Amino acid sequence: MDEKVGPSEMIVHLGPQHPMMPGPFRLNAKLRGETVVDSEVEMGWIHKGIEKILENKTYLQGITIVDRICYLAALTNEEAYVGCVEKLAGIEVPPRAQYIRVIMEEFSRIQSHLLGIGEYASFVGFVSMFMYTIRDREDVMTLMDSVTGARVTHSFLRFGGVKDDLPEGFKDNVKRVFANLRKAVDSYEELFSSDEIYRSRTVGIGVLTAEVAKDIGVSGPPLRATGVAFDIRRDEPYLVYPDLDFKVCVQKAGDVYARVQVRLDEMRESMYIIEQCLDQIPDGPLFPEGTAYGRRTPVMRVPAGEVFHRVEDPRGEMGFYMISDGSDKPYRVKIRGPVYPTLQGLPPLLKGVRVADIVAIAGSMDTCTSEVDR
Amino acid sequence: MDANTMIDSLSTQFPNAMYDTKVESKIRIIAKVKPEIITDVCKYLKENLSFGHLCCEFGVDYPGRNEIEVVYVIGSYDHSVVLTLKAILPRDNPEIESVVPVFWNANWYERETYELFGVKYLNHPDLKPLVLPEDMLGEWPLRKDYRGFPNKTAKNLV
Repeated sequence: MDEKVGPSEMIVHLGPQHPMMPGPFRLNAKLRGETVVDSEVEMGWIHKGIEKILENKTYLQGITIVDRICYLAALTNEEAYVGCVEKLAGIEVPPRAQYIRVIMEEFSRIQSHLLGIGEYASFVGFVSMFMYTIRDREDVMTLMDSVTGARVTHSFLRFGGVKDDLPEGFKDNVKRVFANLRKAVDSYEELFSSDEIYRSRTVGIGVLTAEVAKDIGVSGPPLRATGVAFDIRRDEPYLVYPDLDFKVCVQKAGDVYARVQVRLDEMRESMYIIEQCLDQIPDGPLFPEGTAYGRRTPVMRVPAGEVFHRVEDPRGEMGFYMISDGSDKPYRVKIRGPVYPTLQGLPPLLKGVRVADIVAIAGSMDTCTSEVDR
Repeated sequence: MDANTMIDSLSTQFPNAMYDTKVESKIRIIAKVKPEIITDVCKYLKENLSFGHLCCEFGVDYPGRNEIEVVYVIGSYDHSVVLTLKAILPRDNPEIESVVPVFWNANWYERETYELFGVKYLNHPDLKPLVLPEDMLGEWPLRKDYRGFPNKTAKNLV
């Protein structure tokens, strides 16, 4: 962005303390009157150096670190990381463990979308909506807590399996929570579609066409809202996703309204996936039999090689590129987060919009700064 | 289109520039590429083989071989093959042409690789630090021989 300011222009700094984005995110917008002429995203407020940390930790220790890349997607981050190690070491995950992983990762998607929608609604002035979604998210978190023993950073996956089995009565608890959650999602949708103010702030705002979205490298709900049915769960299946019935939620418009709608549909789809999993889940061991892998594998050497493994995060394509040199620590880990390109695409997306819409557009991307600044 | 036809197409188009090509599985290819022609290869991939999605781009440091690898992981929205391209650069003066004209979103990846590894991207639109403060430039923290930032660590600041 050109720092020079004309006579009728000014630069407004949004963040890092502006309520528009939680966490350390800063957007410098150059305005002419009410219109954004140019903008620039500044990163690097909390660079955690996670890639460097991972090089200095054993594989098992790494699991607790990848949780913290973005704590709303802790389980999918683990899946990408653990999946890399499993590919390198040639570990087969037994079916029961795979089903448990799918269940937990879909729960992770639901809670992330609930927070994303609530947060977004509060950005455009629906502050009470945030309370509703947080209340419903709490039930989902309690269910996750009953399996993993943690609410946010789970450290639940292990090489070759999962830490614990599902507790007794889990299926009934899920049924009870889902009965409420389905009603809640319907009521959110009804509220969004019937409220005139909400519609005028979202319909036709921040339109991202499929071509531009592909060029920017966007994935996940913002991409599917433009009509591109790209979902790694279906296009490059991992775990037991090929055995499950689900559809890829797509919208046509590519505007803010469509992005929120995709997330609402995906929550329903995730609930459907979890119910199928709970019906289909077979009995069996949690770890491959006859191997040294188990709940604790303190020192483990991984054969030399390199692998790229990607999964569908709540926000899009989460990939890990891992290089192993045969020792007990990875030689290099590259994290490909879904939000990195999305955030990079903000300046072209914001060109020419009104200043009040900055918040609506940036918020609807459901960006997680922590993940970009890893 | 499967992985093998893609490799054939690539090696016919760039006979001497691609080497060590490996098909890891039906959907994964690894190839090394001469750094001079990286933009041409990327352009060809994007226009002819519909590799339109740059997943990521990063550096890997090999002090033993005195090399830095720049790795491009390129996927597609239309098929599920992912291609890993590697350009090998000398460690003392790593320089490579920027692929921003081909893949728009390479911009931030290249800025990050520049400040963490010291890879200079020629003709990059705006090569300045992204995630680190400017006075860390020249430290190259993700290189293997990085031993901290001695004068400015938290311990010394307090």
